[in-house]
Amino acid sequence: MNNHPTLADRILPSSLKSSIDLGLDRRNYGHFRLILFVIMLAITAVPAITIAMLGYSNYKDLLQKDEHIQLKWQLDGSVRAIEQMVDSLESVVQFAARRDRYTELTTDSNLRELFERLHRQYPFFADLGVIDQGGIQQAYYGPYDLQGTDYSDESWFKAVYDQGLHISRVYKGYRNVPHFAIAVSNYDPKTRQTWVLRATIDARTLQRFVDTIKTNASDDLFLVDDEGVLQTQSDYYGNVLGRSGVEVREGLWSDPSPEEETVLYGIGNINATPWSLVIMKKGYITQDDWRSFRSRLLLIFFICMGLSVLTIYLLVGLLTSLIRKADEIQIGMMQEAEHTDKLASIGRLAAGVAHEINNPLAIINQKTGLIDDLLQISADFDQRETIRLNLKSIDASIERCKAITHRLLGFARRTDVLYEELNINDIIREVLQFLENAMLYSRIKLELQLSDDLPPIYSDRIQLQQIFLNVINNAIDAIGKDGAITIITNPIAGEVRVVVQDNGVGIAEELLPHIFEPFFTTKETGKGTGLGLSITYGLIKKLGGDITVRSNVGKGTAFTITLPINSEKK
Amino acid sequence: MIKNTHETIKVLIADDEVEFSSTLQTRLNLRNFQATVANSGEEALRAVEEEQPDVLLLDLKMPDLDGLEVLARLKEEYADIKVIILTGHGSFEVGREGMELGAFDYIMKPVDLNLLIAKIEEANASG
Repeated sequence: MNNHPTLADRILPSSLKSSIDLGLDRRNYGHFRLILFVIMLAITAVPAITIAMLGYSNYKDLLQKDEHIQLKWQLDGSVRAIEQMVDSLESVVQFAARRDRYTELTTDSNLRELFERLHRQYPFFADLGVIDQGGIQQAYYGPYDLQGTDYSDESWFKAVYDQGLHISRVYKGYRNVPHFAIAVSNYDPKTRQTWVLRATIDARTLQRFVDTIKTNASDDLFLVDDEGVLQTQSDYYGNVLGRSGVEVREGLWSDPSPEEETVLYGIGNINATPWSLVIMKKGYITQDDWRSFRSRLLLIFFICMGLSVLTIYLLVGLLTSLIRKADEIQIGMMQEAEHTDKLASIGRLAAGVAHEINNPLAIINQKTGLIDDLLQISADFDQRETIRLNLKSIDASIERCKAITHRLLGFARRTDVLYEELNINDIIREVLQFLENAMLYSRIKLELQLSDDLPPIYSDRIQLQQIFLNVINNAIDAIGKDGAITIITNPIAGEVRVVVQDNGVGIAEELLPHIFEPFFTTKETGKGTGLGLSITYGLIKKLGGDITVRSNVGKGTAFTITLPINSEKK
Repeated sequence: MIKNTHETIKVLIADDEVEFSSTLQTRLNLRNFQATVANSGEEALRAVEEEQPDVLLLDLKMPDLDGLEVLARLKEEYADIKVIILTGHGSFEVGREGMELGAFDYIMKPVDLNLLIAKIEEANASG
């Protein structure tokens, strides 16, 4: 045998091998079944799970892309709308600050008239101020007394002086209402100096405008300054001038919020202002079509898996029971073959022993014969009769040995083998003639159920007689006194079957496998050689037939002998 | 009493068991047979040639030449010799083979002398 471990030996764990092993040991079917189940389930589940996951992630990607595009469009549109609004405000202020109006606006109540005209058209203007090149407010109309205020150090003043336009962050101004300011600068050719018109505007204007562009497509939309301070109200972060906590970074990005919902941010700078527009949108996971897709996917997946598990379970059960049955048949056949083998080798052994004993036995036999001859031809002397008696006793023992060895060889004084056409029923009747007296003596009732349709068989008469003699004798011995023997013959599948059953003591189950072994006997010592059934077995096998036994202790025993139609061909 | 009722029959006993063959020889000679002994197959073939026995009692298992081979060779040259196979190493199949090779009969050791004599006479008478 090759003891090198095979690839399977190395890969498989030992627990698995025991159930896959094809040896004679009984497998652990529970274990086998489990392994098979797991493997088959894996084969089914892995592709299913892979496909489901692929579908899931593809659809997720698709939704995310779609969402980004939508947000981008919305952001761009909203930024443009706000820029337009700022532009229009800016042009109003720029119109009011035409370059040569510096002198006009700083004299009399012209600024007041301008404000009132503006205010009629645009009620959100809160005040107006004219500032000269040195940063001193030369004229002011509004709720405060700010005439003469020096703005020269303010950063916004420097910015407007340099760039011509400045829009401020929202701040708390008049009556604690948030405002912002638009300042424009101009060069006045008459006075030959640059001057600035500054208008303060109610921040609610901004709010109203943001409200108009806010749609259901987004969850929150608001303006923040470059430090993240709210310029309009936010649903999430609260009122104007609160801190939004939003990182002001232009573009589209997402940020997982604490509730495990992804929030998408779209942030765009509003040109020429310190403001940025923030659009917040909850991630796709909270969206309906995503949810329904997910639940449908899960439903389909679990239904498929459920069906697979059920099918595999039933299939594995079926497979396991089939394998189990096959194993049982195989083991049964092997055991039977082993039994037959054992009987055959015991038979060979017995025959060998018999052969070896026959020769010395023959010598003893001849020697006693010679001594007897010599005694007969010699004159009478003392103890002569005693010696003859002892010789007779030796001869009797030799006869006993001879009976055993000859029976062991299944060969009792046979000289020729003769195949002829025979009727089994006739042979059984012949044998019964020999046994009539014994049965009568033991008060055994005989019941014959011999089939008339029995085909003639081509076999050996003497051997068949020996077979039936042994089996029926065995039945008589099993009964002892008072009982019944039934002999049934019938044709079966091209063969002849004979059943010899008795209602005797029966044979214990553990003894049944041994009854065809030589020298196996349940009879008391000296009563049987234990060779009868062994020889019968050998003879039947020789004729190509078969003998089986069924027995119940206390109920009886039945021997079934099957013989082929033509023994010679076997 | 030992019976001496027949004409003298020449019997050759071919058997490697000397104790057996010599004893049987003595006993047969006591009964008015002319018995000789051969202790091997080759010896048996020579003895047959020299003595021309009527009946050969042939053992099957012998050291040099197997009984069946002796039988086969004898049947080529001495077809009229009667051979009775007398062996302890018998079996159904070997017996049948011997009969097919032309043996008169097949007897298993140990055998009752009277029965053997009856067979020898029968074989001799069978012509």
